[in-house]
Amino acid sequence: MKKLAALVLMIVSVAAAFAQTTATAEPKLSPAQQSTAVARKLIDKNPKNYEAYNALALALSRRARETSDVKLYTEAEAALQKSFEISPANFDGERIHVWLLLGKHEFAAALQEATKLNKRMPDDVMVYGFLTDANVELGNYKDAEAACQRMLDLRTGNLPGVTRAAYLRELFGDIEGALDLMNMAFQSTPPTQVEDAAWILTQMAHLNLAIGNLDKSEKLLRQALVMFPGYHYALGNLAKVRIQQKRYGEAVELLQERYEAAPHAENLYDLAEALQLAGRTGEAKKAFTGFEQKSLLETNQGDNSNHELIFYYADHANEPAKALEVAKREIARRHDTFTLDAYAWALYSNGQYAEARKQMEMALAVGIRNAKMFGHAGEIALKTGDKPAAERYLRQAAELNTLGSEQAGATLAKLQADPNIAR
Amino acid sequence: MKPLKILAAFAMALLMLVPASLFASSHREAPITALDHSADVTDWYAFVSYDNSDKVTMILNVDPFLEPSNGPNYFPFDPNVLYQMKIDNNRDGVEDITFEFRFTTEIRLPDVFTGFVGGLYSIPPITSLDGAGSEGLSLRQHYTVTMVKNGQHIVLNNGQTLYALPTNVGPRTMPDYNSLFPQAIYDLGNGVKVFAGTVDDPFYIDLGAAFDSLNFRMGVGGVMSEQEDNDDKDNFASDAVAGFNVNSIVLEVPITMLTRDGKKHMANDPDAVIGTYGATSRQKLSVRRDPNALPFVQVQREGNPLINELIIGTGSKDTFSISDPVNDSQFANFVLDPLLAQLFASLGIPVPPPPRNDLLLLVQYEPPICPGCGPNDTGPVADLLRLNTGIPATPVDQQKRLGFLVGDNAGFPNGRRLIDDAVDIASRAVGGILVDPVKYGTRIGDGVNINDSGYGATFPYVQPAHSGRDSHHIGPGQVGCSGQPGGVCPIN
Repeated sequence: MKKLAALVLMIVSVAAAFAQTTATAEPKLSPAQQSTAVARKLIDKNPKNYEAYNALALALSRRARETSDVKLYTEAEAALQKSFEISPANFDGERIHVWLLLGKHEFAAALQEATKLNKRMPDDVMVYGFLTDANVELGNYKDAEAACQRMLDLRTGNLPGVTRAAYLRELFGDIEGALDLMNMAFQSTPPTQVEDAAWILTQMAHLNLAIGNLDKSEKLLRQALVMFPGYHYALGNLAKVRIQQKRYGEAVELLQERYEAAPHAENLYDLAEALQLAGRTGEAKKAFTGFEQKSLLETNQGDNSNHELIFYYADHANEPAKALEVAKREIARRHDTFTLDAYAWALYSNGQYAEARKQMEMALAVGIRNAKMFGHAGEIALKTGDKPAAERYLRQAAELNTLGSEQAGATLAKLQADPNIAR
Repeated sequence: MKPLKILAAFAMALLMLVPASLFASSHREAPITALDHSADVTDWYAFVSYDNSDKVTMILNVDPFLEPSNGPNYFPFDPNVLYQMKIDNNRDGVEDITFEFRFTTEIRLPDVFTGFVGGLYSIPPITSLDGAGSEGLSLRQHYTVTMVKNGQHIVLNNGQTLYALPTNVGPRTMPDYNSLFPQAIYDLGNGVKVFAGTVDDPFYIDLGAAFDSLNFRMGVGGVMSEQEDNDDKDNFASDAVAGFNVNSIVLEVPITMLTRDGKKHMANDPDAVIGTYGATSRQKLSVRRDPNALPFVQVQREGNPLINELIIGTGSKDTFSISDPVNDSQFANFVLDPLLAQLFASLGIPVPPPPRNDLLLLVQYEPPICPGCGPNDTGPVADLLRLNTGIPATPVDQQKRLGFLVGDNAGFPNGRRLIDDAVDIASRAVGGILVDPVKYGTRIGDGVNINDSGYGATFPYVQPAHSGRDSHHIGPGQVGCSGQPGGVCPIN
């Protein structure tokens, strides 16, 4: 069965590649679009071909990544449902099911299902990938590291394992080590897989930006955008570069383009912040209002924008109580470093400094080097009266020379000029 | 940023990513390498050099089914892969000498978003791998050649920067590609020559028919006529690899560098016979950076052609790929009772009953490849391409695609040359021709008898890559089978 499934996927890929190399007169389809078209043809030919439905589900979910259109996940689920109707509990279908759960941010459910699959097929690399992903998002970093290491041990140099290891290194604070792995992944990515390559370039740009290498970051993003024009992830990261360069108007344009391509609440939040930085206060206010409405609609779903909503209430709307309410809801679901940071910031906004400090320390315990988080930690430590810790965190933030560094540096300078600023 | 949304999506796409090619020789035999195209060994060749019987040429081909038009970066070697040629010279199944190749990529025009450009604006056409005329090589690779012997690593570059030959992008960018080709041949001194680059894939096979349970085409039907079989110049069915490129590393070294005592031996001397294989490895990785360099682990290997694909069971293919040949006794049953022989029998082709000890000559040191080997010289079961360096090369115009089977003793399975028809020879060997050429000598064959681009008569023997702009392939129903009326390849 496994072999047959692989064969169908191979056929899909071969035919897709053939389409790519021969369809010169037509607009070039993305890899996911090609795979979708081929899977649909296979289904037309044989409606009882459950592997073709699996291939369709996978292709649609991949297209969801390309376009950020989450509706495609629903279509993918429908395709998967057909697969299970024809062949109940087929293993490849079960794997795609877990993948879709992850796509919908149903992390606990994904972990549960991936654990079951791992028992059913102990050496399946992909399942270890799912275990890594779910544990990372839930904040179970030790389990995530173990699963990822198992991926690397099972299949040396497999790209999904390498990119996951890179992300873990980033979380553990080893940004340079993460870049090494991402570079390795890029070199090993087939040239036909333009979106994969563009994604890796975008991640490398993100890592370079995180340590202040603006020029490198920009070059990588330009390369990604040539490789995959209009790529929404690259647009978002290029906007960050522009903000760091204080070219706010250009950042706004990029984020508007991204929001048009991927109209998600979190993308609107970024746009609103950029508008504010650009001094376009009225438009910023309107965008923030739109963000709040959109974000509240999904706040109880797995795939939400609660992190942004917390910071919106805390930093822009002056509604700290609402920030804490959302943060408590989210922290009940997951305790990853980013959720802990948002929770700590919500506590800080409500004057609960000791608890905020505790949560912030937990957020940083994984080892992450993130200027904004160090900035939060510095501000929180300041309020708890721990000036040495505040100085240390603020210095760490400033030294990264990236988004959030300037503000942290300014606070540090004030603190050093006036030690009484602590409270 | 939503890391998981991004990460998980990416991961799944890559996990499910199967390159645009599969099957052929060892072009897609194992699930692991389906995830790792650049480390996929497609074919391994080793033969006494045609123009100098004091030397051996080894060719390691990797990364199958490279579509010539597939830009923008085309087909660089993977700098993360360790490419290796391994030689056992004392019949213990373990390599005594290894040649290692590591590639480095330089991006010379970071603002140009294609690997190669030429004949545009201020960038001249690419006419050279270095210096004037090389400006358009935005993506350029150079490499090192290292010999590992007795634990010592000796760099053989001889102070030279060795550039890999890029693919043939097309006539505007590379107006005289054939003049670029020889620039990638380097004389390293001491009788050693090397070449690396993208070339025409010399392998040939009717892939679709072969994998449709040997459903060969009209006029061939799986059993070739005597006339078809004796024709080494024409194809009677379409070559599925025609028009595709492959990445190739070619190394020529004196035989005296390979034998256990540094001497050349007569054919009947066991020490004349070496066992060879090509392999790819990747460095072991850990999530947390390890200050100590982690070891390389093998991803793929090939000794005899088609062993992994035709002989080894699906469930064991990955294990086979990452295992060392010296441990191949674990796979001996696949050789002694091959499934393919059972398939032949089901098609009415007479085959000998198991155990198939006749096939052990492919995996042990035995006559006739090693005529001087006695029972104590066989060594362990190990999938090595054995080459008797005492048997001189057959002159090019006398070479036969069926090699050893038809008296051309310098051909497969005594080593392997580009001309050797691995599909037909291996199929017939499995069919039992080595047991009794009359009783089990069915002319099993796919009707593809020659590579579309031919073969070189001198180093590096491989032929230049197909042009990306003008690339085309040959399929059933299309012109490209010179042995058929009108040259049209049969469909059924």
